[in-house]
Amino acid sequence: MAQTLKEVDVVVIGIGFAGSILAKELAATGLKVVGLERGHSRHSVPDFQAPAIHDELKYSVRKGMMQDVTREAMTFRNQHREVALPMRQWEAFLPGTGLGGCGVHWNGQIWRYQVADFIYKSHIEQRYGKKFVDPDLRIQDWGVTYQELEPYYDRFEYLLGASGKAGNLNGKIEQGGNPLEAPRSREYPNPPLKEQYAGALFRKAASDLGYHPFLQPAANMTRPYTNPEGLTLNPCVYCGFCERYGCEHFAKASPQTVILPVLMKNPNFELRTESQVLRINLDSSEKKATGVNYMDAQGREFEQPAGLVLLTAFALNDVRMLLLSGIGEPYDPVTEKGVVGRNYAYQTQSYVPTFLKEDIHLNSFMAAGASGTVIDDFSVDNFDHSALGFIGGCYVLCGSTNARPIEFHPTPPGTPRWGREWKEAVRRHYNHTAVFNLSGTSTASRWNYLDLDPTYRDAWGLPLLRMTFDFPENDLRMSRYVTNKASEIARRMGATAVVDQPRTGPFTTTAYQSTHNTGGAIMGSDPATSVVNRYCQTWNVPNVFVVGACNYPQNSSYNPTGTLGALIYWTADALKSRYLKRPGPLV
Amino acid sequence: MTRNYMLRKAALTLPFAGALLVGYSTARTTPSDPPQLGAQIVAQGTTGGAVACARCHGFDGQADGSGAFPKLAGQFPQYLAKQLRAYASGARQNALMQPIARGLKDAEIDSVAQYYASLRPSTLPSRPAAAQLVARGEQLAKVGDLNLRVQACESCHGPNGQGEPPAVPSLAGQYGHYIAAQIQVFRQGLRKSQQMQDPAHELREQDIAAVAAYFEQASRSTTK
Repeated sequence: MAQTLKEVDVVVIGIGFAGSILAKELAATGLKVVGLERGHSRHSVPDFQAPAIHDELKYSVRKGMMQDVTREAMTFRNQHREVALPMRQWEAFLPGTGLGGCGVHWNGQIWRYQVADFIYKSHIEQRYGKKFVDPDLRIQDWGVTYQELEPYYDRFEYLLGASGKAGNLNGKIEQGGNPLEAPRSREYPNPPLKEQYAGALFRKAASDLGYHPFLQPAANMTRPYTNPEGLTLNPCVYCGFCERYGCEHFAKASPQTVILPVLMKNPNFELRTESQVLRINLDSSEKKATGVNYMDAQGREFEQPAGLVLLTAFALNDVRMLLLSGIGEPYDPVTEKGVVGRNYAYQTQSYVPTFLKEDIHLNSFMAAGASGTVIDDFSVDNFDHSALGFIGGCYVLCGSTNARPIEFHPTPPGTPRWGREWKEAVRRHYNHTAVFNLSGTSTASRWNYLDLDPTYRDAWGLPLLRMTFDFPENDLRMSRYVTNKASEIARRMGATAVVDQPRTGPFTTTAYQSTHNTGGAIMGSDPATSVVNRYCQTWNVPNVFVVGACNYPQNSSYNPTGTLGALIYWTADALKSRYLKRPGPLV
Repeated sequence: MTRNYMLRKAALTLPFAGALLVGYSTARTTPSDPPQLGAQIVAQGTTGGAVACARCHGFDGQADGSGAFPKLAGQFPQYLAKQLRAYASGARQNALMQPIARGLKDAEIDSVAQYYASLRPSTLPSRPAAAQLVARGEQLAKVGDLNLRVQACESCHGPNGQGEPPAVPSLAGQYGHYIAAQIQVFRQGLRKSQQMQDPAHELREQDIAAVAAYFEQASRSTTK
């Protein structure tokens, strides 16, 4: 039997960026807030200590910061007629766990989405006509516009100390930035990262071909920076251990460096780590949440009553928690009824390894997580698709996040996979290979969705999440087109060999691509096609808000965290200025 | 010395990576044959107006023991050369060192740096310090302090403060007085480093004394 605890005002499930910022904002209004985090507590000091934190085997190969797959896995299939099987290790994407969530081990690539992203369906139909997209695609508008989110993007970027150069300040194109970005109201808080040598070569080649290269915006500090919460971060030292690692230098924006110390000092907030939430409880009307049930590390079950429940536990976990709690009708791809799990999307990644001459020393190991020179000319709808037969696009990034010895040993095609020749090829190419990374749109499709698995259960006896996903043909055509454009840049750089690797189907869970899992609890203006309204409030249960990349109706070309930050502050504002004054549906 | 280590050294001066590697290896691997020009300048000074370095830093790079002048023996040559150029330009402010650095030609700066880099670090016993102070210093050096939001010194300065060439100086065995004075100088902005700026401000007076005492007794000999 669960022991019932004293009621609090707010319970927050999952303490990453979304959970810690929302908890901080609400606790500051005087509400009693409890944060439930399934993972361990951890802080820059002493948990991310050098040299132990630079353990490539522990963190990169054995995924030391990721969800424990022996306790909570998920099942996967490509097609809805197939039987899904559990993933026994994380490879394609890496759900994190622990205090700070994925905000601890991300790279810090911080992007804004385009104006067109938020009105994607309207925009595409207006530009190309209603019959342009493949019939199985399910693109939608977000119900919120870029213009509405701009102040919240700004706030998140200043919280994180983002480094970059504005390319479009209030409509005026700025030299040195990305001229194709959506207009921003002010400059980045910090200047861009240093350009890597490979990036400089890319810049020249891309400029020669008429594109618009710039340095990627980053949440890696480029100078000492004190954020609006009064927390000071130190400049990045380009150590090459960002993604999958915590930062020992206070140089990467994470909940630990930009918000948690302030939250933890507020006596209205209580953090409970190693607390596994089992479900959100609803009253008999099923229109009101009464709190949550969770299990602690000793296996004791508690009921935590609360007036407001915020679900901020990573896109995939958010969708699962809604399904486990019976909030919203589960999506069925055959009848297209139901909404929870609908429009699951991903990121269509491809790569172009570019092998250069031996006298070009790239020193790619000197890297910040978001190092790189990039072009935005082929992102989203920044180029005319009318003769191309697909929608969407990719940014093309040339840069390295690391050149760590276990993971990084590029060799050209035809190299044996082991033995003397392989070793010789690694020696020849290690410091002379630039890898382009193409991050592409993922278009929602009728047949890609999330639901509960009928067979497999987790360590607490609850059904695992089941993912049904394959790349829509549209996205594969898109990947072929843009990857080919990227290869032209690579050849222009004087490469001795270029490997054109567009994304091909079927989607496989056995090779790392991206942890940009989006959708499943999407936002919108119609309860028939969305789970939450434009304020990330669930349509069915107005005292449950879900904030995560699960809100995205489809995924853009860009890394999702910047837009998530905007949605977090947008939601915080709606909660504080409207919901708390008059609890109930905001739409 | 690992391959990765060699590559990291090459890193900061990309276009000249090959040349630098050769020069640096020479300086590091032949301590018995210090650069002749450097030795001469250290002993006699230059006609350009630089006084003999040995007057304060010693011919053996151990300085005079007062802690007013740093030990230079075994310090990384790129770091020493960079500091001399910073004194010359005024980027690092010091009334004693500026005229000396300005009296050295570019090639002379490199030679002096290579001379001191070629010497063995001190094996002399350090000044006695209270065990408690050293323990607190070790904690700050190896772990940092979450309340002060100060990271471990050794995140950059390496295990036991042995340094991370070419950019990050060795602190092991350096005079504590000198280390403490430098932290104060960073704090006052007379010496600029983006990396050191925030830690120098966050450390309290007793913490500065503690890290100084810890690094003075730390030894590089075990890690070489």
